[in-house]
Amino acid sequence: MEYPEIDAFASLDSFIHRLDPRAKIVSFTVLIFSFAFVNDIKIALLILMFSALVLVSSRIPLTFAVKRIRLVFFFLFPLLIIMPVTVDGNEFVSISGISLSIEGLLYSSLIVIRAMAAVTLALIMLATTRFDVTMKALYALGVPGILVQMLMFTYRYIFVISDEFSRMWKAMECKGFRLKANYYGLSILGNTLGMLIIKSYDRTSRVYQSMLSKGYGGRPVTMIQFKMSAKDYVLSICMTLIAIFVHTYQLVLL
Amino acid sequence: MKEAIKVENLDYSYPDGTTALEDISLTIYEGEKVVIVGPNGAGKTTFFLHLNGTIKNPGGDVTVFGRSITSMKLKERIHEVGVVFQDPDDQLFMPTVFDDVSFGPINMGLDEDDVKRRVIKALSKVGLEGFEEKVPHNLSYGQKKRVALASVLSMEPKVLVLDEPTANLDPKSRVDFIDLINHLNENDGITTIIAMHDVNAIPELANRVYVLNRNIVAEGSPRDIFSDWELLNKNNLEAPDVFKLFKVLNCFGYPSDNLPLCFNEAIQVLTSSIEGKEGHIHLHLHEHTHKEINDVINSYNHHRNNGYK
Ligand SMILES: Nc1ncnc2c1ncn2[C@@H]1O[C@H](COP(=O)(O)OP(=O)(O)O)[C@@H](O)[C@H]1O
Ligand SMILES: [Mg+2]
Repeated sequence: MEYPEIDAFASLDSFIHRLDPRAKIVSFTVLIFSFAFVNDIKIALLILMFSALVLVSSRIPLTFAVKRIRLVFFFLFPLLIIMPVTVDGNEFVSISGISLSIEGLLYSSLIVIRAMAAVTLALIMLATTRFDVTMKALYALGVPGILVQMLMFTYRYIFVISDEFSRMWKAMECKGFRLKANYYGLSILGNTLGMLIIKSYDRTSRVYQSMLSKGYGGRPVTMIQFKMSAKDYVLSICMTLIAIFVHTYQLVLL
Repeated sequence: MKEAIKVENLDYSYPDGTTALEDISLTIYEGEKVVIVGPNGAGKTTFFLHLNGTIKNPGGDVTVFGRSITSMKLKERIHEVGVVFQDPDDQLFMPTVFDDVSFGPINMGLDEDDVKRRVIKALSKVGLEGFEEKVPHNLSYGQKKRVALASVLSMEPKVLVLDEPTANLDPKSRVDFIDLINHLNENDGITTIIAMHDVNAIPELANRVYVLNRNIVAEGSPRDIFSDWELLNKNNLEAPDVFKLFKVLNCFGYPSDNLPLCFNEAIQVLTSSIEGKEGHIHLHLHEHTHKEINDVINSYNHHRNNGYK
């Protein structure tokens, strides 16, 4: 089965790939937060270009990235239509009696651009590190063990459960079932999901038994071997400076 | 011979009231290869959960190398008995192969270098060198089975317990897995206890067989067990094809009573019995032969209710 994996290109090589996973998570998170609070559309355009530049230098195939970023864009796109109509301000055009405001347009563009920049960065962060490494880095950064373990199990079993579901679905289709939006179709779908939950419940007890037989005592069990080099410090300090700069450039440039 | 595992008067019922095990008593010696056969729902998996203390407070005594399992610390238990469960997806619960194989050793409190050494060793034993960074969902079923075994071998247990190791494997993986288990038993001195239905593999994997059906129904060498068709019949079991074939050859006058249980053994037995008769053996067909064959077929083909006409 083909899985849509976020870390499919984690084995490529670029300076972003080589960045220590902990440094990567921290500096990208700082950047994302900083970008999310930018209030000037010109700066917003700059950070979007910056994110695109990082994306290109990470060597992640653009089609892969665009496919995912596109989803966010579609989600936010309605804002570009709704806000010019609803936000009061100077009218710049009026279409059959409905006036569109400049403020609304600017404000919605700002939101969309900021979001796209932030999502691009998040995507780069996740796509340039193997997902298991990301989780271990989170643990190393002090994220509570219980959360990390939940994340690990989710990551591991989402594939097992989706395989299970696709097997059940195939079996149903082999017996002539076609999903239609009627009472019958939906009740069968409900039963299938119920079965899936019961199967997963049974599995949890078996997984727990096998964890116990390997000596599980409640804490996450992984070996973490990360090492920060000078390069990692330099790069993350640079990124943090950029994050600060986009909010304080007036002070700095004056 | 040292006693590896000794179970006395073990009972177990699930919380919902299902009685899974009744008054089980058995002893397994160090270095033995034991197979536990029994129909689905016989309690094999439940029994195995008792052998490394996964089920706490057993209703009976389970002793491992002379010490009661309830008195042992977790780290000691997993070092004595390793259990490989049937579904590898239950056993591989970590993000990568390395994480899974190192899980036991880390819990045993070994230091980093030892853990790494053990992971490399365990993976090479199962023939998966260099698989450390792979994620389980990208492995084939046979590979997952082997990683599951490696994740137990890395704890270097003295007793290895395997639940249906050959189920769902393709013929090549099945043969490889059987060879691997035998290798571990013969070269590394690991005592192996295996649950399975795969009767054609039992002769290769067992010196001794227990028939389990809630309680221990019978015990003996594979040959004893497979000769007792009434026992097999009652417990929904079968004899290996080779063995049945030689039973039929007996009816045609094949001279040996030492009937082979598997293909390789059949070649040896045939060769030696033909040699013993100066180069040929004589098979014949008499009036009574048909009736004898019919009897054999009826006794072993109890799963289908038609006989030889
Ligand atoms: N978690 C459980 N809860 C209740 N009953 C169970 C549970 N697991 C197994 N059983 C029951 O216990 C009996 C033995 O099951 P099991 O040990 O899985 O048999 P086997 O492995 O030989 O097929 C069966 O009757 C089964 O239905
Ligand atoms: Mg079972």
